[in-house]
This record gives sequence, C-alpha cells and structure tokens, in this order.
Amino acid sequence: MFAKNLTKIYYGKTVVDSVNFEIPKGKVLSLIGPNGAGKSTVMGMISRLVASDAGLVDFEGTAIHKWKSRDLSKRLAILTQTNNIQMKLTVRELVSFGRFPYSGSHLTAKDIEIIDQAIGYMELTQMQEQFIDELSGGQRQRAYIAMVIAQDTEYVLLDEPTNNLDIYHATNMMKTVRRMCDELGKTIILVLHEINYAAFYSDYICAFVGGRIAKFGTVKEVMTKENLSEIYGVNFEIQEVEGKPLSIYY
Amino acid sequence: MLKGKELALPAKHRNRQYAIETKKKNSIGKLLSIAALVVLAVILYMTLNVRVDNPKLFWYSMSIRTPKVIAMLLVAFCIGGASVVFQSVINNTVVTPCLLGMNSLYTLIHTTAVFFFGAGSLAARNTNVAFAVDLALMGTIATFIYSFMFKKTKYNVLYVLLIGTVLSSFFSSTQATMTRIMDPNEYDTLLATLVASFSNINTEIIVFAVVVAALVIFVLRKDLALLNVITLGKEQAINLGVDYDRAIKRLLLGVVLFIAIATAMVGPISFLGLIIANLSRQLLRTYRHGYLIAGSALIGMVLLVGGQLIVEHVFVYSVPISVFITVGGGLYFLYLLLTQKRRL
Repeated sequence: MFAKNLTKIYYGKTVVDSVNFEIPKGKVLSLIGPNGAGKSTVMGMISRLVASDAGLVDFEGTAIHKWKSRDLSKRLAILTQTNNIQMKLTVRELVSFGRFPYSGSHLTAKDIEIIDQAIGYMELTQMQEQFIDELSGGQRQRAYIAMVIAQDTEYVLLDEPTNNLDIYHATNMMKTVRRMCDELGKTIILVLHEINYAAFYSDYICAFVGGRIAKFGTVKEVMTKENLSEIYGVNFEIQEVEGKPLSIYY
Repeated sequence: MLKGKELALPAKHRNRQYAIETKKKNSIGKLLSIAALVVLAVILYMTLNVRVDNPKLFWYSMSIRTPKVIAMLLVAFCIGGASVVFQSVINNTVVTPCLLGMNSLYTLIHTTAVFFFGAGSLAARNTNVAFAVDLALMGTIATFIYSFMFKKTKYNVLYVLLIGTVLSSFFSSTQATMTRIMDPNEYDTLLATLVASFSNINTEIIVFAVVVAALVIFVLRKDLALLNVITLGKEQAINLGVDYDRAIKRLLLGVVLFIAIATAMVGPISFLGLIIANLSRQLLRTYRHGYLIAGSALIGMVLLVGGQLIVEHVFVYSVPISVFITVGGGLYFLYLLLTQKRRL
C-alpha cells in the first residue's frame, strides 16, 4: 500500500501537499505532527473516507477509489474518533457488525466463532450484554476495537485511538495495538498526538508538518532532538527507556 | 484468525448467541401483541353500530368503512416506516420527516393548483391526477433539496433541518399570499383538502397508492437492509463497505414518496410519525430496523384506527383526530426533549 503525490485542498487551502510514502506491511506506523499538519486528512484519504484532489492511494495494485467498497472492507478497517450511536446496541451486537462485509445481517457459525474470539481478545466477555451507551470511554473504545478485530482485515487504521482516554486506558490501548500487530499479524496505521506512545509502541513514524512529510523512518531515526524540535518548534530532550527513545519537551 | 491465543471461555458465556436469540423472540412477541391489537381495533371499527338486520344498510356501511380502514392502515404504514427510516438516516430520534417542510410543500402545491386552474379544474378535481402531480413534484423537489443540500453541507444534519425550516416558512408564506387574493368560495373548497382529517379520506387513490408504496419498497429493498449499519454513522458504514451517499439518497427519496402518499390520502399530519417511531424504539429497544419499522407501522395502525373509532363513536365527529394527534404528539415531543437531553 502506498500513496503517490497525494493532495487535498479545502476551500483553496492545500492541506495535504503532494505526499508520497509506502506503508510497511506487518508493522505499526504512527503519523504524528502538530495540529493542522494534515495527518488525519492523509488517514482519511488512505481509508477512502476522504476523496483526494490529486494523486492516488494504491492498495494491492489498484487505486483505492476503484475498489469495491464491500471488498475493501474485508481487507482494511478504519476506526475514527466520531462514534456516537443513537441505537440501543449491546457490545456483542456492535462487534457482530464487524462481520457485515462477509455475511450481511445473517451470521454464520464461523462468524459467531470469530465474534466470540474478538470479544474474548478484548476481554469484554463479562460485559458483552451491556449497552454501549452505558459503558465508560475506555470500555467503549475496546468494544470498537473488538469490532475491528472481528472485521478480520490485514490493515487497521486508527485515528487518535487514545483521545479522551486516561493514562491507564490509553496505555492499555497502545499495548493492544502492539499485540494486534505482533500476535495477529496486522498492519496498523495510527494518528497519534502523544509522541511517546508513538515512540514506544510503533515500528515506524511518519511526521507531518504543513501538509508535507517532514520525516519518515524507524522510531530511532525520527526520534532525535533535532528532528522533533524542527517538527514541533519547541525544545526537546531524548532519553532512552527500555531501549526506546522517549522525549521530554518543555 | 487469532493466531497463538486460544481462548477458554467460561461455560455460561459459551453460547452467547443465545441472548441475542432471546431478544429477537421478545421483539417478535411484542410485535405480535400489537398486531393483535390492530386486528381488534379493525374488527371493532368495522362492526360497531352496524345494522345487521338490513342487508342493504349493512353493505352500505361496509362500502364506507372498508376503504377507510385500508387507507388508515396504509397511512400508518407509510408514516411509521418513513419516520423510522428518516430518523435513522439523520441519526437523530427526535426529528420527523415533516420538519423538512413536506407538509407546507403539499399545501402549496394544492393551493397553486386551485389558484391558477380553479377549484373545478381537472388538476384540482381528479384525485388520481392530483396524486400523481403531488408525488412527482414532491419527489423532484425533495430529491433536489436532499441530494444537493446534503452534499453541499457535507451531510450536516443541522443545516439540512435549518434549510427545511426556512423552505417550510417560504412555502407557507407563498401559500398564505395566494389564499389572501383567492376567491372565498374556491378557498372554502381548498380548505377541505388542506386540513388533515380521517373523516374525509381520499379513498379513490388507494390502489394507486398501494402500487407506488410496493414499488418503492421493492426498489429500495437492498438499501433498507443497510439501515442497521447506517445507524452506526457515516464513517463506520463506509468502513463496513456501504456505499453511503447512494444509500442515503435513495432512502430519503423513499421517505419523501411515503410521506407524499400519506399526505395525499389524509392531508398533513405532523406529529404522528414522531410518536409512533419513538414508541416503537422505546418498546422494542433494538437496532434491527425490520422490527422497528414493523413496530412503528403497527402502533400507528392501532392509534389511527382506534383514534378514529373514538372520534366517530364517542365524539360523533365533533373533534377531528388530527387534534388528538397534535396535542398528544406535542406533549410526547416535550417529554422526549426533556428525557433525552443527552442524546440530542
């Protein structure tokens, strides 16, 4: 999967400017950068939620907008931040929607097995009959992740999955992301604001500034004092913790 | 799928599909009880105060009551279905399709017809022609408004509702201007078609209406199956492989046609859709639209047939049913606003 000369213009303002990159398969890639750098828009374009104005996103040899939406939904899943449901939906029912691309509304025995596994994987078995709107933010986020797991796609795109979560739940979310990559072999792309989560839990980092890619490389390559200062415009110190470069900014 | 990790589930969670099956059965049970109420109301409506001693009088009442009952059932089905679909598409449970100005559009179309062609003209008198004109005009204008405005506002519900409100007052003011300079006799004739009343139901168009309703359902059957997913929100729906924009457009057109059918038969009734769709949601507490639509339609049938029964036999036609619907609907709307603050 790669992007070529990807461009997005909103009301005459170029938000994403001719961006090129390739997504490493089976790894965790974090998109970071200051507000308005275009990382969420890039995420939208590679997941077909946002139409690009120029350039293309190639997914397995075919431009992403030429894919049949149904076929694509078996290969690539996206979870955005805006998830408000008006329906009375239980955790299990939500997770079952992950099987919609495969079986529609009629679940097969295999679907039910996969749903069970996804719920167990996210440790939601005890609360699977609870209604989504009665859960805490962290639990709800886990339910959505379980749905994405049930969707059983090679690629998983998460737009700020740690948003609105406290430190405990955010850290657990990042651990889950790592596990989904290591244990389930998924390729994961995240938009993150917390650079230390990006540094600790991902394999690659892509930093955006002003709609362009400022740095793209392994965590070690990108997480240097000079790079980060340049990207964010504030002072940085880098410290190693468990062999990973973590940053302190002030 | 899940490599490496095999999960040992506790015994009581092993067959979790069980809970969902129970819920399904519950919903079906509730729907059947409402259906029984519908049957009861219909039987009462058909038989109360019927003269069985004289076959002539008996068949005369039957010939009056049968088309009325069919029309009421059809109207309840159209409004109930359209309201549930509309709420789910808009992703808000306190809206009704009537908020988009379809009622005032209907009023305007009919006033215009009488204004320009006179109350005795073909367009005003022939109900089938008037119905066809209603459907065509409301369909075209609504397609334009919804497809175009939705796209323009990036599917922003508030904008669309605002545009609907503005258009609604625009239609009403235009209509008011026309009636002011209209011949009083013509206005008198016109008024009869503009006030919602189940006592003078437009029964001649029943066949036409049933055909159109069936056709709409047939054409939209695949889009209706997507409703459950659509309620997860635009992004989730696209993620799960739904062609969102296309489905929304088609469903909204269906909603408009259904509302047009109901309005053409009994005139504008505003709050009925809101009441029955929400009663259905409250009662069934499910996301499955098959059940929600059926529930909403059945509750509508009970309310309409039962309500008309009371209007005809208790109040002896002194109060039209639309008064009850508006008063009851208004109170229920207030109740919804106060209790569902969080979900607005």
